[in-house]
Amino acid sequence: MPLLDPSNFPVQEHALSNGLQIRLLADPSLPIATLYSFFRVGSRNEQPGITGISHLFEHMMFNGSKKYGPKEFDRRLEAAGGTSNAYTSTDITAYYEDFAAEALPLVLDLESDRMASLVIDDDSLQREREVVKEERRFRTDNDIDGMLDEALSALAFLAHPYRWPVVGWMPDLNRISRRDCERYFRTYYAPNNCTLVLVGDFQPAAALREIERLYGKIPRGDPLPEVPNGEPPQKGERRAIVKYPAQAPALLAGFRGPDGRDPDSLVLDLIEAALGFGEGARLKRALVYEQELCVDAHISFGWRIDPGLFEVSLKLNPGVDPARAEAALWAELGRVADEGLDEQELQRAKNYVRAGLLRGLQTANGRAHTIGQMEVMLGSWRAFLDLPDRYQAVDRNAVIRVANKVFPPHRRNLATLLPGELPADAVAA
Amino acid sequence: MKALRDVALPPHSIVEEPSGLVLLAVQRRGVPLFHCRLSVPAGAGEDPRAKAGLAQFTADLLRRGTKRRDAHGVDELIEGMGASLLIDVSMDEAALSLTVPADLSQRALDALLEVALEPAYAEEEVAAARRRALSALQSDLDEPSAVAARATIRLGYGPAHPYGHPVHGYRREVETFGREDCLAFHATRFRPRGALLAVVGDSPPSGLLDVARERLAQVRWASEARPTPLDFLELPREPGLRALVLHKPDSTQAQLRIVSPGIPRSSPRFFEAVVANTALGGGFTSLLVDAIRVDRGLSYSVSTRLAMNRQSGLSLFSSFTKNETLHELVDVALEKMGGYAESGPSEDALDKARTYLAGLFPLGLESHEALAEQISDSLLDGVGLEHLVSYRSRIGAVTASVVCRVAPCSTARAARAASMTRGPLA
Repeated sequence: MPLLDPSNFPVQEHALSNGLQIRLLADPSLPIATLYSFFRVGSRNEQPGITGISHLFEHMMFNGSKKYGPKEFDRRLEAAGGTSNAYTSTDITAYYEDFAAEALPLVLDLESDRMASLVIDDDSLQREREVVKEERRFRTDNDIDGMLDEALSALAFLAHPYRWPVVGWMPDLNRISRRDCERYFRTYYAPNNCTLVLVGDFQPAAALREIERLYGKIPRGDPLPEVPNGEPPQKGERRAIVKYPAQAPALLAGFRGPDGRDPDSLVLDLIEAALGFGEGARLKRALVYEQELCVDAHISFGWRIDPGLFEVSLKLNPGVDPARAEAALWAELGRVADEGLDEQELQRAKNYVRAGLLRGLQTANGRAHTIGQMEVMLGSWRAFLDLPDRYQAVDRNAVIRVANKVFPPHRRNLATLLPGELPADAVAA
Repeated sequence: MKALRDVALPPHSIVEEPSGLVLLAVQRRGVPLFHCRLSVPAGAGEDPRAKAGLAQFTADLLRRGTKRRDAHGVDELIEGMGASLLIDVSMDEAALSLTVPADLSQRALDALLEVALEPAYAEEEVAAARRRALSALQSDLDEPSAVAARATIRLGYGPAHPYGHPVHGYRREVETFGREDCLAFHATRFRPRGALLAVVGDSPPSGLLDVARERLAQVRWASEARPTPLDFLELPREPGLRALVLHKPDSTQAQLRIVSPGIPRSSPRFFEAVVANTALGGGFTSLLVDAIRVDRGLSYSVSTRLAMNRQSGLSLFSSFTKNETLHELVDVALEKMGGYAESGPSEDALDKARTYLAGLFPLGLESHEALAEQISDSLLDGVGLEHLVSYRSRIGAVTASVVCRVAPCSTARAARAASMTRGPLA
């Protein structure tokens, strides 16, 4: 029997004539449910001058619609035993509600109403703009990981929208207007750009009828503008220095990799797990425990719609020369390219990824998120059912091939944080 | 408020072994995973005097070698299963846990017990761990929220209270940690009496218990006497507001914490305190989130929280804002908390808080890990399973008349503030 038995995932698939995709998975084990609304829009759909509008707009979605005025969305939801949140990435914006099963009719009404008739006014835009600027100060301007991440993206991408931060540049946040938001809403928040995923304690037939009644009348939007991808090939190593009064240096390295649908992404998932997951992972063991160069070593590779980044973050021990840590990192990546991973390491990585998939399916929210993410990133929720088998099929030769493709020296991008005084003209607003 | 039905726990068994160890087995169907969690009374509250951080240090070192294998061998043992060993040290306990695919349940239990009960504490590993801990403490100075959290704990409990220090300790005390400290701490705290082993899987509870007992038969527990019980002092209650300002010149944003005495988890006022906290700053539509984020756009994050330990707790307010609006944030927070202390929540706000808590409660019982933690903590904190089984109805029974008597309402009267700012606080 496969690890993920399809009979445990009786997902119902529907689509409305306006293009809205619906995925329903009933599970009466607890009296709760989760509704996700995935919109295929993120910072890759932005342009210079309005960077950060996807994320700012995510905030605006909680500020009132025709039927439910300002503050009403969360007030009604919480009063019915629910909670909501949302996130914006480079590629998608996802909204979700976790709630007592009894609240399903209200949740569908709230979500469909804001898709049909969001109200955007100047006052709420101004307040939300200030909230987002505080978020940017918290996550980026006063956070070492955040400032390095911003520097790395701007370094690794020259032409693709992945070069700007999801939260946006501060001057752009000040510039985004109500008209920009209205245009954005009309373009990207139409039902044909959305996948709705409902998981939990509900009757599928009744839920579907209610979804059809509430969402069916919302008109389909125009076809989405294409995202230009004129990213030229990288011809040599790129470096950036960030000066900040920190206790210790830090490094963030990035290599442009494949897009999420490319089978090589699965190989990079396994390299990520082998090098970075757990205390015994190769990179952590070498740099944190054996050579004592870092407080922490972290690897991140996420599937993106367009070719994204394989990132390695090193938080150095105070006093360590960044050049030593850098050399140790290149050596470890070089070993993967030269020798691959041995059988035991590769199997360990596969076990990690397999267990991670299962853990993600424990909760209603986790199942709904997985279903939606697979729809948006891979085209079908079914894609996760055979993922364990596809990972299992990856062998040492595939690891060597992909590592040689992704990690050669001319594809390196490195942002280094050096402790020091912040230049006087570099203090963020 | 429309009453929401109480939640039945999944099939489970609880037995106390002759050694004093409590065994908990829970059947969770649907996802083929197995979870095991060992809780021992070895929390940061047990740190010896002048050894703040020893509980965390001793627990972190468990993964750095046992009497049977070195650190690399331990990593292979655990991570070869695709699992991560989680080590969570709170004020009251150290908890080690593992989640693995169901077919690896016996291997996981063996690994967990070996790591927890047979540590080597090799001299060179202790020295390396000390260097890592000191580096990490220095790096934490770059995280404004970490600095604020450490200051808040000390301010809230007072330095003489067993809970009155950060779990990772202080640099000057971590520098003194040696192998003997770890061995002594482990020998006296990793004992079966007061410990709980939870196993969650897709088999019936009796089968899970059999597996646990079979594996436990292979291990030996420490037998040294536990030191004298801790002296849990009354929390300091000083009149007026004390302000602690930590100056971080490079920061463009100030972190603000306001702390006052709270309640232990076993308090008979638990349910009204939770409702009162939710209405004040627990949910997204609470009084403080509304005033600070939604109405004024002063901050991205605003919350109040009850940090409840076994013997006592704190009531905490957290937020941040750009340096220029710190005064406004302090003023609004104190004004709103003061008003709340006088009049409590409105009927609407109270009703919303009750339904919100009751509606979301089952989410905390969904995963293997959450089930093990919730049931274990209910048993160890002495509130019993009734606390979980009747949670929704007891939240629903909280009335306005009792809400004002509880901790969050007194925040403005007995607050101590820990803040961090770039400019002087007038």
